[in-house]
Amino acid sequence: MTVGTTPAAGLDAAAREALAELLLTLADDEFVLGFWDSEWTGIAPMLEEDVAFSSLAQDEIGHARVYYELLAELTGDPADGIAFGREPEAYGHCRLLDHPRTDWAFSVARRYLYDTADAVRLEALSRSSYRPLADAVAKIRREETYHLMHGDVWLRRLATGGGEARTRLEEALEVLWPDALTVFTPLAREDVLLSTGMLPEPISVMQQRWLTRIAPTFAALGLPFPFLADDSIYRPTFPVDLGGGRTQHGDAFQWLWGEFTSVHRLEAGAVW
Amino acid sequence: MTDPAALEPILPESERATTTFNDPGLTHSERYDAFVAHVHVGGKVEPRDWMPDEYRQGVLRFVEMHANSELMGVLPEREWILRAPTLKRKLALTAKVQDEVGHAQLLYRVAEDLGKPREQMLEDLLAGKTKFHNVFHYPTKTWADVGIIAWLVDAAAIVAQQALRDSSYGPYARTMKKICWEESVHIMHGRDVVVTMMNGTQNQRDMVQEALDRWWGPLMQMHGPRSDPAKDRDLFWRIKAKSSEELRQEFLGIYVPRIWELGLTLPDPELHYDEASGKWLYTEPDWSELKAVVTGHGPKSQERLEFRRLNYEETRWVRETVLATRAAA
Repeated sequence: MTVGTTPAAGLDAAAREALAELLLTLADDEFVLGFWDSEWTGIAPMLEEDVAFSSLAQDEIGHARVYYELLAELTGDPADGIAFGREPEAYGHCRLLDHPRTDWAFSVARRYLYDTADAVRLEALSRSSYRPLADAVAKIRREETYHLMHGDVWLRRLATGGGEARTRLEEALEVLWPDALTVFTPLAREDVLLSTGMLPEPISVMQQRWLTRIAPTFAALGLPFPFLADDSIYRPTFPVDLGGGRTQHGDAFQWLWGEFTSVHRLEAGAVW
Repeated sequence: MTDPAALEPILPESERATTTFNDPGLTHSERYDAFVAHVHVGGKVEPRDWMPDEYRQGVLRFVEMHANSELMGVLPEREWILRAPTLKRKLALTAKVQDEVGHAQLLYRVAEDLGKPREQMLEDLLAGKTKFHNVFHYPTKTWADVGIIAWLVDAAAIVAQQALRDSSYGPYARTMKKICWEESVHIMHGRDVVVTMMNGTQNQRDMVQEALDRWWGPLMQMHGPRSDPAKDRDLFWRIKAKSSEELRQEFLGIYVPRIWELGLTLPDPELHYDEASGKWLYTEPDWSELKAVVTGHGPKSQERLEFRRLNYEETRWVRETVLATRAAA
């Protein structure tokens, strides 16, 4: 298989299945985060942030659409059908995104963890041998650059804001850290993705690169970073269970799913 | 975000200073007369110009209510952002609601220049001291409401807003150009939602008709009762350019045929175009309902204000953190 020229039609059954799993995790991550973030539209702490958070939410839903459409090309199912037509347990977003919107500090902390992790993932995928994915990722990364800048400003602002801001941020991080690692939950058919070059490097390698990259920021701000560096390998100081990292969904997502499918489910086959 | 000033550059200060009413050597009544003459021939007023107190208060009240309406208008549609049934609709609705928040921000900035701080305006709104448009006091019940609001509520609004592009207050007139452009996109989105449903199943068509029946009363009341143009001070100062009845006639003239064209009916047996007078005739709207609604007695007035108060309180710590960081910098 030649790098950078793999068309959907040229994939064998195993490769298709593996690619579909990867695309679904990418799509569902962006889709679910886009929904939580869009909950700030109209009620954010200030009008300027209201506009900004709405843009973030739209970008994520836009990215989700790109991934669902790539998936639609593979499976023949319509993108909207994939996005809105599954039972809640069939969604593959990571546990980090399973938490509800909560407060502003929680949203900032989650966005920071997710955006920095996603940036590492996108860097790798921009070199994917599956050309449609590599091309899509190149575009998505341009938008994500602004998300990273926005997230960085807010993380620093809350971390150095003292009092309530700092306390709320630390509390949010305590809750989120154990689930942050689930962005890098291993995929069932990762071996196929790696051997075909559709995934240019193992997910565990991405996870380490992510931790290495954000460690200095957390150290500088004195924020919780529950890992010990051992020979340049970051090991969590908490028990890690990545099993179910993308399949265990809680009550918050059940509620969200009920909302976002409520119109879609009204009448089978109706076009909206 | 586009700076409204960039859309139509304002006169440089040196040129503006030559307008008669800015001459401090004149008496108050000479300045007043010159100001009136200036706005009556279509002249624009800029924030740093001299202006009569009544004019300043009038523009502030008008723009503040408009800003409040954009902000409160976010809430009925916001309820549907999570429930949008396709990726395209989700993107369009989030973008639309984002636009409304952006309009509120632009308009509060215009109002701030007239001397009232934004925090004060928000607090007055939350305390029920200032008003917002009647249509944002009503509940939404189905996805069809999203289509009817974006199509017809925004259409009724744009009829008024297009006329405001000629407002004598320069910053307001320029802001309305940007807002009108965005509102016209909302109308297309709303119409697309409605047309898609009208081309769908019987249940979908019924949903649209039911929503239209509910919204028609508030829509007919939206521009307000007929008033004597000779006594309307907002018209006198050219803060607005058209009377309420002119706006309603314009709305009916454009949109009633389009509504009928889709096979929808309107819940007013008297509604028809009268060839003889060249006007639309209709059952007199319920003006007592309008009065009750805009004074905070609408079906959702208190619930929406309470929702906003709650969120304003819950996010107060964020604003305080930002302000403290700025003060320390």
